[in-house]
Amino acid sequence: MTDTVPAEARVRACGCPEYERSTVDRRAVLGGLAALGAGAATVALAPRADATTSLTFADGTYTGDTLVVLSFRGGFDGLSAVVPVADPAYLTLRPTIGIPTSRTLQLDARFGLHPALAPLLPWYTAKKLAFVHALGLPNPTRSHFTDMAELERAAPGSSLRSGWLDRMVGATDRPGTFAGTALGTASAPASFAGPTLELAMRSVDRFTLSGAWDATEEARWSTALRALHAGAAPQHAGPATTALDAVATTTAMKNAGYSPAHGAVYPSGDLAASLRDVARLVKTGVGLRAATVDSGNWDMHEGLGRSDRGWMFDQLGQVAAALAAFMTDLGPAADRVTLVTLSEFGRRAAENGSGGTDHGHGNVSMVLGGKVNGGRVYGTWPGLGAGQLQQGDLAATTDFRSLLGEILERRCGLTASTVLPGLPSARLGVVRRDA
Amino acid sequence: MPEVITRRTAPWSPPAPPVEPPTPPPPPPSSGTTRAQALHLARRATWGATPRLVADIRAVGAQAWVDAQLDPARIPLTADERTVLAEYPRLSMSVAAVRERYGSDTGDLGTDSIHAYTARAIWSERQLFEVMADFWTNHLVVTAPWGPAWDSVHRFQEDVVRRHALGRYADLLVAAVTHPALLKQLDNTSSTRWSPNENLGRELLELHTVGVEAGYTEADVRHSTLVLTGLTTHRQTGEAAYEPDWHHTGRLTVLDWRHANTAADGSAVVRDYLLHLARHPRTARRIATKLAVRFVGDSPPAALVDRLAAAYLAADTRIAPVLRTLFASEEFAGAGGTKTKRPFENAVSTARVLGIRPGPANRRWFDEVLWLSSLAGHKPMGWPAPNGYPDVAAAWAGAGATLGVWNLHMQQGWQSTRTDDPWVTVPPFRGLLPAALPATHGEYVDALASRLLVGPLSTAKRAAVCAFLDRTPASPLRATDAAVGWRLPYVVALLLDTPEFATR
Repeated sequence: MTDTVPAEARVRACGCPEYERSTVDRRAVLGGLAALGAGAATVALAPRADATTSLTFADGTYTGDTLVVLSFRGGFDGLSAVVPVADPAYLTLRPTIGIPTSRTLQLDARFGLHPALAPLLPWYTAKKLAFVHALGLPNPTRSHFTDMAELERAAPGSSLRSGWLDRMVGATDRPGTFAGTALGTASAPASFAGPTLELAMRSVDRFTLSGAWDATEEARWSTALRALHAGAAPQHAGPATTALDAVATTTAMKNAGYSPAHGAVYPSGDLAASLRDVARLVKTGVGLRAATVDSGNWDMHEGLGRSDRGWMFDQLGQVAAALAAFMTDLGPAADRVTLVTLSEFGRRAAENGSGGTDHGHGNVSMVLGGKVNGGRVYGTWPGLGAGQLQQGDLAATTDFRSLLGEILERRCGLTASTVLPGLPSARLGVVRRDA
Repeated sequence: MPEVITRRTAPWSPPAPPVEPPTPPPPPPSSGTTRAQALHLARRATWGATPRLVADIRAVGAQAWVDAQLDPARIPLTADERTVLAEYPRLSMSVAAVRERYGSDTGDLGTDSIHAYTARAIWSERQLFEVMADFWTNHLVVTAPWGPAWDSVHRFQEDVVRRHALGRYADLLVAAVTHPALLKQLDNTSSTRWSPNENLGRELLELHTVGVEAGYTEADVRHSTLVLTGLTTHRQTGEAAYEPDWHHTGRLTVLDWRHANTAADGSAVVRDYLLHLARHPRTARRIATKLAVRFVGDSPPAALVDRLAAAYLAADTRIAPVLRTLFASEEFAGAGGTKTKRPFENAVSTARVLGIRPGPANRRWFDEVLWLSSLAGHKPMGWPAPNGYPDVAAAWAGAGATLGVWNLHMQQGWQSTRTDDPWVTVPPFRGLLPAALPATHGEYVDALASRLLVGPLSTAKRAAVCAFLDRTPASPLRATDAAVGWRLPYVVALLLDTPEFATR
């Protein structure tokens, strides 16, 4: 019985919102987490209470990579990031915002990297980073929302309503609570829409239940909340169940703390914080199979800036520093991770009158991971000449599904055509199978 | 709807006792509106049902209540609304005055706007008007507190959204597209005939009017952009301006609209184009669909959308007749329990049902509630894209959103215990129960459910709440029980965590 006021409740009654108290033994958590492998995993939690002392992940037999999808929301300008230095039309089309060749970091004879992406160059040189240029949707509309929806559905011409990552996770053996996780957001993106439950969290450290100050109280809340959501409509019951399934693990992880490994230093910002959490979940072994991370604010119609300062420079610098820290932190674990960047469309080849660019089509994707055939720019360059542009845009010579299909086949061990209906047969060789 | 805001000078003192009676008076039987009908209407047409609101609707009848709500000028501002808005005098500043005072970017005006938005949602009795202000804020999107319209978002709220929220969409659209806030938000301020910027020209077609289903081409988007060249803002004052030199002249065609467009001053062409778009059958369908999604269901019946679109066109884009048709429809009547509150709505309805009222530190409390809402993914004017927050359950069915809302409920529970240093006035939770305590824990849960959820919980859920208290429904309730003592804020939060409360 609980009729006497526990000290924890009295402390909370002060109304201090930031009050936190660690009730989980750190060594127990670390010991439990460190022992985990890729298969079925048990994490030791909350040794004080008998209610929840361990949590077993129904992790099936999935041995593929954690697939990390980094979405650049708003329309990423691939022509600023990976500059076609050998294309004579480039600087003519972009007299004020174009990146002069001398400022780029050479990738090969045709392409140079934006100087703000310099932290990524070592990973390119180490062949863990590749680029695919002139990639895009087969049916572009240049609408943010239509193109984003089509990208995340990844089933053009079909009546499928689900997202491709929902189908990807659903195609794996017995996915657990963390199998599909969106980081940095309270609700998952449309790529996770569909019958397979996914998790969405702003951050690991924020994914805790207020009012449940120890394992006994957590069990009390969990039991009550599950009963109160029993038989509810799926939009209520689904996220409630996932939240309660995950919260014991995230609380234990929070209490255990996290220090990035191998000297990795993440920059500030939401993107870096989310990638840090992805690395943390990968290394903790919670059964993460697909993760999404978002980076917004790319819709640069106005004032994109110059090669040495401004909006684009700052954003690319954030991305590069965050991705470099992520790879450093992962260390050998990067061999089990493949990260790919996507955006709903590229930008118009020519700059507009506002020192920015309008909505376009063909774009660049980055592919990062231990088993990437990196150090190359893949794709067929269609050219920026007058007769080569499509309605003023870089043409897309690679269907984005070709890249995703290859990753699903070679890195996730899945039959890609079941995830991506109508998948084109072309493959680029950007990633390799395990030897 | 401009209001005179008087500045409060008296020192803060506790407001009058809560207006919410523990047990609502029984409604007169003559209105013909059942409790279930009144609850359904209250959930959909307001920022959150309360027992008193449901009783009010039953007393006058659903139709009369809707009619009164559609005439908000006749509903007085509440004392709480006035009290709080008086703390935000900056909202009456002109754009030029903001620029003069601040010089460069500030989040002050945006933050004030979001606080006022929250205050009105909680405390206004013009509830349907406030719901529609939210609807249009998510249709013609200007982001705050940080965004290109940092100097003008507050004027956009007052002069565009709130002035026309229940008026003609044609007027709303013209006011929006010629307002400095939207011109800045969508980069029209630097769009010229030499170098057009397509951002506003495209979103005007895609989001604000006909929608992509209209099948416009890239050439239409270019012409739509050219129509708008010349609409800009004054470099110093930030107020709306027109630059005839920047305006493209010459014949323009967008879908079925044509104009010779020969004059350098294209203001009249802009107006003609916007009125044409506002009255376009595709726009009617788009607005009708969005209203039906807001008030009826995530996949609204096509027949209802057809009737709403017809009502919109017949009323020359007036919104009130469309809403009257909607609330009187069979489809609305049959749609009870099918919508889900978004996180910020959940936060506002929590404040409403708990009877929270202004206090000595309203700003701090708004900041906290809005921070917790943003953790759940939903802070007003915070959606990063120009299409506004989604309003279908699937978009919010995230574990993080759910957990965020639960934590917000618990935070309000703790707020109730802040008696030594209150930010706002939270009526003691003991007042949520009848003065004479129920005899058993089961009846205790019934009383709380009736007060917070405006309806009963199932037998199984009732037992689950009792089990949370280590009791059974039959366990007697004593004044010394934790249920009426230190555990009460936790039980209140638990009840607010239910799907019953999350249902719009």
